[in-house]
Amino acid sequence: MSLERKDEHDHRGWMQERDLSPIEQGYLMALIWLDKRFRIVDYLELLETMYYRVNLQMPKSHTEQYNLDNKFWYWYPLYSLGAFSTIAYIVAALTGAILGFYYAPSTADGMEETIAYDDVVFIMQDLNFGYFLRSLHRWSAQIMTAAVFLHMLRVYFTGAYKEPREVNWLLGIVLISLTMVFGYTGYLLPWSQLSYWAGQIGVEMALSIPFVGEWVAQLVFGGFSLDASTLQRMYILHVFILPFVVTALIALHIGIVWMQGIAEPH
Amino acid sequence: MSEENQPRTDGGEEAQTDGGKRSDATRSSSDLRSDGGEEEPQTDGSGGGVPAVPPDDETPTWRERKERTQGLSRLTYEYFERSRREDQDLRQESTYVERDVLAFPTWPHETIRNLSLTFFFVGMMLFVSAALPPHMPSPADPSSTPEVILPDWYLYWSFGLLHLDPINPDLAILGGEKLMSDRVYGVMANIVVVSFIAIVPFLNKGSARRPVEEPFWAALGVGGIVFAITLAALPLQDLIGFIPTELLFNLAFFLPVITFFIAYAMLKTMREGYMYSLNRRYYRLRPPR
Repeated sequence: MSLERKDEHDHRGWMQERDLSPIEQGYLMALIWLDKRFRIVDYLELLETMYYRVNLQMPKSHTEQYNLDNKFWYWYPLYSLGAFSTIAYIVAALTGAILGFYYAPSTADGMEETIAYDDVVFIMQDLNFGYFLRSLHRWSAQIMTAAVFLHMLRVYFTGAYKEPREVNWLLGIVLISLTMVFGYTGYLLPWSQLSYWAGQIGVEMALSIPFVGEWVAQLVFGGFSLDASTLQRMYILHVFILPFVVTALIALHIGIVWMQGIAEPH
Repeated sequence: MSEENQPRTDGGEEAQTDGGKRSDATRSSSDLRSDGGEEEPQTDGSGGGVPAVPPDDETPTWRERKERTQGLSRLTYEYFERSRREDQDLRQESTYVERDVLAFPTWPHETIRNLSLTFFFVGMMLFVSAALPPHMPSPADPSSTPEVILPDWYLYWSFGLLHLDPINPDLAILGGEKLMSDRVYGVMANIVVVSFIAIVPFLNKGSARRPVEEPFWAALGVGGIVFAITLAALPLQDLIGFIPTELLFNLAFFLPVITFFIAYAMLKTMREGYMYSLNRRYYRLRPPR
């Protein structure tokens, strides 16, 4: 008796005894090759479930069941505000990534003013489509914030924050705050007069927090007055920390909506 | 199914050389396994006969571990079982109407509809940003404080809360001293407002959804919106100098209250209207004397 393992699942033999077309054969070869390495079969069931989920047919919604469509159809645009802010967020992320190619968060002397300011001027005056790019980034940020505010009002006035959805309301509060922090940090980046003095007020606000104020000011603004490290930190917050945190929270927020279902008008 | 697919560790080859008998025996024994009858030794140490690895007295088998599990994990497991059963029962009892003709399939109908809405929104953004480009303000100059310092519009309410110093109470008990400095007062006001919004779901419960169903909460919301707008006027004191500060503060705090009462009255009236149309038949049948 040999110690060599017998091939109990002789897939190749099985393939040969079937009369397969080259396409089928190639497909099966690839599948078997991948399966031997990654155990795809284990995930096949998951894939199958996902397939049926995607093509899931929804049961009747509340409004449909009680034939309230004629009374509530004009509410529906208000139900798209969350999606609208998400779309604006995606647009802002894409344009922001491109803007990042041409911007350096430095308060050192540039050609005319500080390097940061000069970069923004360069984007707006010399870069092809730069003016439009910055405009789009700014407007998508404005629209996102506006949509988020209106979204919150819609949720409030339709009572959608109620019982099973408290967690998502709290998450929404965190998200709207982070959105405003996003906007604030972005507001500081051009290092213009408005940015500078808005930053000044931010530092003072941070310093006014009881007990931990100085610590917060040093952590977020890099000191008690505005300087190079402030701009650097605003930049890192704006392009590195907040994007990860906010994207993750948005995913969680939408995931919970998916799980709990949309609170419809009654 | 998994039973069939599992490769036999005891060697199907032997069974074949013996002729069908042994394989029949193994099959029947595997059927009996659930009854706890004649069992084959398993690799996890359970089953009869001589196990591949004789288990230490201290080492529980996997089955034993599952049965012995105590404490939180056991509770979790039991709860999951219960909640699954509850879910199933509720589903079976429910009179929920499943449609005969089902809804739009996600693909392609819903997906294409969503995509077209998305493109519409993105197009709107492109149009707005092309039509109304931002201006470039003057560069930062730490040596000169501008006359008007403002954040972006969405922070006006918060910025307004920082300008509450005229109403920061000076306490007689402290000899006219203020309990906290004006700056701390402003930051605390921000924290209070945000926390109040955060705890709303824990204050207002129940299944009411429409504003008319809960006039108080809806009116509170309207008042809150107006408050956010009037607060934005506070940091603009210098710009709108023709309104004296005291009047500005009165407006900022009483306009929301007034709006609250107006909204409350309107919603109450609307609710009466709804009630009337609901009860109209009753009134018709028995007109009040």
